[in-house]
Amino acid sequence: MTESSGSAFLSISGLKKSYGGLEALRGVDLALQQGEFLCLFGPNGAGKSTLLKIIATLLRPSTGQVKVLDFDLHEQPEKYRAQLGMVSHQSFLYQDLTALENLEFYATLYGVEQPHKRALELLEQVNLTARADTLAANLSRGMQQRLTIARALVNDPSLLLLDEPYTGLDEHAASVLRDQLQILHSRKRTIIMVTHNLRRGMESATRLGILAKGKLVYLQEKSKVDPTSFEELYFRQLEAL
Amino acid sequence: MIRKNCSALLAGLAAVLLPVALGMVFFYAPMERTMGMVQKIFYFHLALAAAAFLSFFVACVSGIMYLLRRQRIWDARLAASVEIGVVLTTLVLITGSLWGRPIWNTWWTWDPRLTTSLILWFIFASCLILRAAVEEEGKRATYSAVMAIVGFIDVPIVFLSARLFRSIHPTVIRSSGVALEPAMLITLLVSIVAMLIFWAAVFRLRCSQYTQESAVRDLQQQLQR
Amino acid sequence: MSSLKQIRFLLGKDLRIELRKKESLVAMAFFGALILVLMNIASGVGKQVDVESGAGILWVAILFSSVLGMGRVFAREKENGCVAALLISPISPGEVFIAKALVNFSLMLLSQLILVPVFFVLFGTNFSGGPIALIPILLLVNLGFSSAGTLISSISAGTRRNEVLLPILLFPLILPLTALAVKATAGALAARPLSELSGQLEPMIAFCLIYSAAGYLLFPFSIKED
Repeated sequence: MTESSGSAFLSISGLKKSYGGLEALRGVDLALQQGEFLCLFGPNGAGKSTLLKIIATLLRPSTGQVKVLDFDLHEQPEKYRAQLGMVSHQSFLYQDLTALENLEFYATLYGVEQPHKRALELLEQVNLTARADTLAANLSRGMQQRLTIARALVNDPSLLLLDEPYTGLDEHAASVLRDQLQILHSRKRTIIMVTHNLRRGMESATRLGILAKGKLVYLQEKSKVDPTSFEELYFRQLEAL
Repeated sequence: MIRKNCSALLAGLAAVLLPVALGMVFFYAPMERTMGMVQKIFYFHLALAAAAFLSFFVACVSGIMYLLRRQRIWDARLAASVEIGVVLTTLVLITGSLWGRPIWNTWWTWDPRLTTSLILWFIFASCLILRAAVEEEGKRATYSAVMAIVGFIDVPIVFLSARLFRSIHPTVIRSSGVALEPAMLITLLVSIVAMLIFWAAVFRLRCSQYTQESAVRDLQQQLQR
Repeated sequence: MSSLKQIRFLLGKDLRIELRKKESLVAMAFFGALILVLMNIASGVGKQVDVESGAGILWVAILFSSVLGMGRVFAREKENGCVAALLISPISPGEVFIAKALVNFSLMLLSQLILVPVFFVLFGTNFSGGPIALIPILLLVNLGFSSAGTLISSISAGTRRNEVLLPILLFPLILPLTALAVKATAGALAARPLSELSGQLEPMIAFCLIYSAAGYLLFPFSIKED
């Protein structure tokens, strides 16, 4: 496991989370620099969603700290939430509002100036301008996914969290997503993505990690990783259960 | 050493005091002039009511503590006290009814205390129904804690509004109009103390049962992984 | 954005959704009217009811129909995880509570605009008091019921038995409010002046204050997953 020197953008130390007797996370340490793209793989039940939720301040850790730029997340969540964007496997969209209305809502929620303009910009970015007045309920899965991403970008977040974004997407939608992520990453955003999709994850990331049974068992810069041996390692982890 | 054997101590104490109280109710306390034997239900009724109220108070406090500390022990205490409280309140309602029937010729009356007990019964019984409906431990504990807190807050409100209603009903019941001779007072106090100690013993037992159940469930989950 | 603006804005979003689909409102009004008709039949067709019974019937209809609408308000928020989206946004849970309570309040008020006239049509021939006299009572009950109801619906929506649990959990808590409301309504229907009803209205105000405070404080706990 490598540790980056210098003050990290996001640093996690000794993170543990238990639900009653079940230990979801057993001590995770991680340091990310600004602009890195970390992709976390791991079998089901490894604690990936839990980790993301803690970073998103949806859950509180049992012990340990999560710091963004040196201030503790859970002690001052308000400062931090304005900078955060999240894409979950739940869409966060209001079914009875149109695509435009959904984006306008979230833009206003985050205090964006001129929310209407921003909403239109975002629709343009994800190629949904034609669907601006369609109810979210009537959008196809791929379109909903694009709208979900647009929603997460409404506040121009410096930290973006993605929880299994490729689930249920066909090849076309998946490559659109990959391209979107590329654009996002190029603008100095720090991204953490959790996915089962080995190929897509390895394409986009700058750092690769494997979470198994609540511990980070592997963390390495992508440039130093040999793809085949990484795959082997990953599958070995899956079988180890 | 006292800590470890606390449960046994309490149980032993209760086992001694309850029969003593019972004996006092029937053999020591004098027979009440107007109501006769039936009046003796009063000792049980009041003792049960005191224990039930204590139960719900403990539930509320446990709820607050759980929300602040998130420790399992507080959830165990909440569950135990709500359960015991519901059982005791059922007995309060039954004894109240049994007492009321021969005296006031009615099975039920909207006396403020009985009304409060009835509504309390519903509130905390609904809390038990809620617990049965939620499987995930953390959620269940949080939800029960919130319910126990709002439920208990309701108690003074219910009591006061029932009081307001009493002035409207023609049949005014004044159970506290019973004059208490010293012998009766002593019997009453002994009954209440015995009941409270009994409550404490059962509470501790139930709490440790809950804790053990959770431990077993943890082990099961770990084995399944 | 200031708190008030946030709340108004959340409220606006919810009202827009509710009025667009109207499913909650229609269900509430329809169900309430149905109960009123049923009660009319149950009390003997053609027989007049006195003010006390009439008040009771009105409130049964209102409360049961309101519970129907209330259940959906929060369930809709939980759909697609929108609650989580709100939790990770700058808005505070307390503000969400106030907005949701106001939504429930509005829904109740709107459905009452239909139910109260229906009530007077079916039962009102005997009553000396008219619908206007009921307004303060309606407003107070709506406030108390929606505060308590919003808190409880955040709990019931987290279970798989939302529609069943909501009334089971909520009704015992609001029994005192209901009893006071029925008493006050009976007085209003008998054309008693407002000052005479203060004996009921004042405790109702206290109830509303206590439950609004309790709801505001406890809501942040019940909507978090943890």
